[in-house]
Amino acid sequence: MEAIRNAFDFSDFPRIDLVIAGALALFFVVFPLSPHSSFTMATMIQFFMFSIYGMGWNTIGGYGGQVDLGKAQYVGIGAYTTTVMLIRWDIPFWLSMPVGMGFSVLWSFIIGYPLFRLKGHYFAIATIATSLVLKDIFEVWNFVGAARGLGISPIKYQPPDFLRLIFKEDIYYYYVILGFFFIGILYLNWFRKSRLGFQLRCIKDNEDVARSLGINVHWAKIKTYAIATAFVSMVGSFHACYVKNIEPEDTMSLDISILIALMAMLGGAGSLWGPVIGAGILIPLKSYLKEWLGAAAGLVGIDLILYAVIIMLISAFEPRGIWGIVQKVRRRKRR
Amino acid sequence: MKSMAKVGIIVLGILAFFGLLVPAVSQAAEPIKIGVIYPLTGGAAAEGRELRAGAELALEIANKPYPNISMNMAKNTGIKSLGGAPIELIFKDHEGNPTLGADLAKKLILDDKVVGILGCYHSAVTKTVSAVCEQYGVPMINDSSTSPGLTKQGFKWFWRTTPHDVTFTKDLFEFLKGLTEGKAKGVKAVKKADIDDLATACEKTEWGSNVSEVIETMAKTYGFKVKKSILYAAKSMDLSSEVGSLKAVKPDAMLFASYASDAILMLKTLKAQKAQPKIIWGQNAGFEAPEFRDTLRDDIVGVLTRTVFLPKVAQVKKVAGEVNAFYKEKTGRDFSGASARAFTGLQTWVEVLEKAGSTKPADIQKACNTIKIAGDQLIVPWSGIKFATTGEDIGQNELGTGMIGQYQKDKDGNITLEIAYPFDVATANLIYPLKGF
Amino acid sequence: MEILLGAISSGLLLGMVIALVALGLTIIFGVMDIVNFAHGEFLMLGMYTGLLTAQFTGVDPLFTLPVAAVVGFLLGILCYSGFVKFLLRGPVVAQLLGTFGLMLFLRNLALLIFGSEDRALHHGILVGRSFDVGMGIIIPATKLAAALLSVLSFVGVWLLMNRTKVGKALAATALNGQGARYMGIPTERMNNLAWGVGGATVTVAGALIVNFWSVNPFVGILFTMIAFAVVALGGFGSVPGAFFAGLVVGLIMEIPGLWDFLTYLTDSEWMGQFPMTSLKYMWIYAAYFVIMVVRPRGLFGWKQ
Repeated sequence: MEAIRNAFDFSDFPRIDLVIAGALALFFVVFPLSPHSSFTMATMIQFFMFSIYGMGWNTIGGYGGQVDLGKAQYVGIGAYTTTVMLIRWDIPFWLSMPVGMGFSVLWSFIIGYPLFRLKGHYFAIATIATSLVLKDIFEVWNFVGAARGLGISPIKYQPPDFLRLIFKEDIYYYYVILGFFFIGILYLNWFRKSRLGFQLRCIKDNEDVARSLGINVHWAKIKTYAIATAFVSMVGSFHACYVKNIEPEDTMSLDISILIALMAMLGGAGSLWGPVIGAGILIPLKSYLKEWLGAAAGLVGIDLILYAVIIMLISAFEPRGIWGIVQKVRRRKRR
Repeated sequence: MKSMAKVGIIVLGILAFFGLLVPAVSQAAEPIKIGVIYPLTGGAAAEGRELRAGAELALEIANKPYPNISMNMAKNTGIKSLGGAPIELIFKDHEGNPTLGADLAKKLILDDKVVGILGCYHSAVTKTVSAVCEQYGVPMINDSSTSPGLTKQGFKWFWRTTPHDVTFTKDLFEFLKGLTEGKAKGVKAVKKADIDDLATACEKTEWGSNVSEVIETMAKTYGFKVKKSILYAAKSMDLSSEVGSLKAVKPDAMLFASYASDAILMLKTLKAQKAQPKIIWGQNAGFEAPEFRDTLRDDIVGVLTRTVFLPKVAQVKKVAGEVNAFYKEKTGRDFSGASARAFTGLQTWVEVLEKAGSTKPADIQKACNTIKIAGDQLIVPWSGIKFATTGEDIGQNELGTGMIGQYQKDKDGNITLEIAYPFDVATANLIYPLKGF
Repeated sequence: MEILLGAISSGLLLGMVIALVALGLTIIFGVMDIVNFAHGEFLMLGMYTGLLTAQFTGVDPLFTLPVAAVVGFLLGILCYSGFVKFLLRGPVVAQLLGTFGLMLFLRNLALLIFGSEDRALHHGILVGRSFDVGMGIIIPATKLAAALLSVLSFVGVWLLMNRTKVGKALAATALNGQGARYMGIPTERMNNLAWGVGGATVTVAGALIVNFWSVNPFVGILFTMIAFAVVALGGFGSVPGAFFAGLVVGLIMEIPGLWDFLTYLTDSEWMGQFPMTSLKYMWIYAAYFVIMVVRPRGLFGWKQ
């Protein structure tokens, strides 16, 4: 009970933050009912997906302080588990998604144990290595369709299918991912106040002190990593049902890992709102830049150049991301 | 107050003027929008350019009358049965990425409200785009993707004009068989044992992996042995391990399914490693791209490729010659398999719209299922276009055929494609075996 | 047998070039403890430099090396003084993020300027020629030249580091930055130099590699990963370590060749069908992981 109360307790945030958050939440709920183009709808769904990816990343990357650049492998595990279970054994999404999360968590424990012996950039590179290894394996593994990938046939199931999460209109997908989004925020709110959350903050501040206080640093990190992968896997399963066509190059590539990490770091790793802000800026930026400039103007890649510049500026001058800037401004105002 | 009233009257007047004008304007036929999704950038950008050029030429012939071209669509301005409405093509670039292709299809359907879709070359992209079209009940004509699986999905909104890889691979094996029977022009019968060891290297997505499977199945039927089949990433920058693996089994014939940049890389690597197969054959795509010939020049003499169109056809088929001349005038090149099929794809759209007489999906669907386009209307050497409505491959054009061409040097020293198969229309003696590098 | 010898010779040659790729990374790391995620992008730019210089001036690709070296040197210094310098003040997370951003920036800048299509060198004195040494060893002339020049570069760098005053100053800064400063060694200049030399070596490697591999804006990350594996194996900061580790990684890349040899020996159908060629890079990533977990110090390194 206390856990639930904790999850809903946002009182430690300044009033204005809560007002803004509330207004946004309302907007999100109402948005699909207002006139919009399919393009905007698709962008919003992407925004929610990447917010949740970012939130997951944030647990280990932000609160935990270990930069993880291999999240894409869990997107893949979640997506493939759901797709394979649907295609081969007609298992609905609500069952296959937890199974996917289970596999992801299992894999995260297997590689997490050796992985967390490393720190800093060595850790980061190792996460890239594991993600690429898994991707390469999926690309030759015929059971999951190898490089060809797997597709969910649009005519085999009758939309709207709530069990298998197969819909024709995006609006259904919107509300499902919005639901996950709210759950994610509540969970993180609980997490940062939980014992594990406190332990992590202690570890991030000073690992040796934490250890001397009796915290099992290694385990704390592994557990957090598992939580992060569960988040990512959940959205990965959703992704499979949404795009209905997955292949390793597309779902498990390094670019996806980078994007996830980037958004969280840009918005502010280690804060609750950071990943959401990061996704909120980068996703629409990416989509609209592509739309306006795009291949027509021959200016391919300019959206990513803009990202890159933003990231370079933030990393050089305000590593705590946009939320860090907000907090700095606030602190100054208070004086 | 008075001046405001004056302004108000003027504004009303202008509005009224436009109000009268608008209905008049809208009486002129609205353009019919067709979404075209091709790989305009990325590893197959070379083919993408060809496809686009082919489609744009067909667009021009459809929208304006060209009396010196003996095609139905050249006679009319736009679609006659729709009041002369012109066709408008909206090009989108899928970059070889199936998810992007699906997104673009969705946007074309929902935001641009296209009447139908044409595309996509990469079979992996056609797969996802056709799924989107099927979901929304929007007709799609596939001009250029040959993976057999695409017509086996049981879709009701998908039609394919180009023959698929089963047809083409059968051509290959008939060719090999004919080679052993002495049917190849200028070559005495070759002993089966001399060419029965095959090795394949195909790009690993939907298209290549299917080609690889089809080759293996057919090889068994025809009594050939596939000693090694490799799948590789078309975007690789290095294929030396792959070529090394192929060489290790010492095959008589090497068979490839590659896009442009990997086809070039593959041949270069074969040369660097001094590979010596007796036969090199490519399943079209990269092996037919102009870049392939321009980059590798003399090194490709003797290489065989499945093809759907080569300049020699222009000499044999009247309408092919006329349109090819027009194309050459515009782009400086002859038609290739890619541009010819894109042209034919859009031409099919025009004929279908003419027959349907409306832009409603159900009418277009009916038109597609009942249409028959005669062979002499087409620039490609097919007997015509008629889509199957029963059997295993619903939506597949049953009247398409393939050819096998061989790169040879003509008397001026240019590299051209000669017809090697069907044997009865072969235009030159076959070069066999390859000289090796 | 030929298969085996062919694979080994190919692997060793390739390894020497890869060692050069990794050399820059280990120098930069040795001097200032920062890992440059954009390393592969420097290589990619080196490849383009070599390619375009050869195409525009008509000069043989091998003679473009000095141009590449100059470009790389300047690029390294520019990146350091214009950007990386500011990263050093922040936490490790920021440094990672920063060089990452640099990687994305360079990659997409290349995409914007050069387009996404593959480009390759098709003409040149050595392009396309090979020596058939017999016993199945076929040595492409370009790879041989690249390997030899790489060895030369290594020797050059080693001499620089160990026999010149500047080099010793660099090494001193690497060992103990504070101490070096007290001795009057200008740290800032050393940092700049490290990035300059590091940049130059990797762009030269790129100009060599483009002789036999094609380039597009996305090849960077693969080389970055390969370089990391080499440096991890050889020991972060060790120049000779980079060389030997490079050879080992070169051999790892020829695992498919080894596999073919074993397949031939055992005549196993299963082995013949196993898609080993598709996994050739996977072994490198796995190797990095295993090395870091089992022996993070690498073969020769002193830094953890």
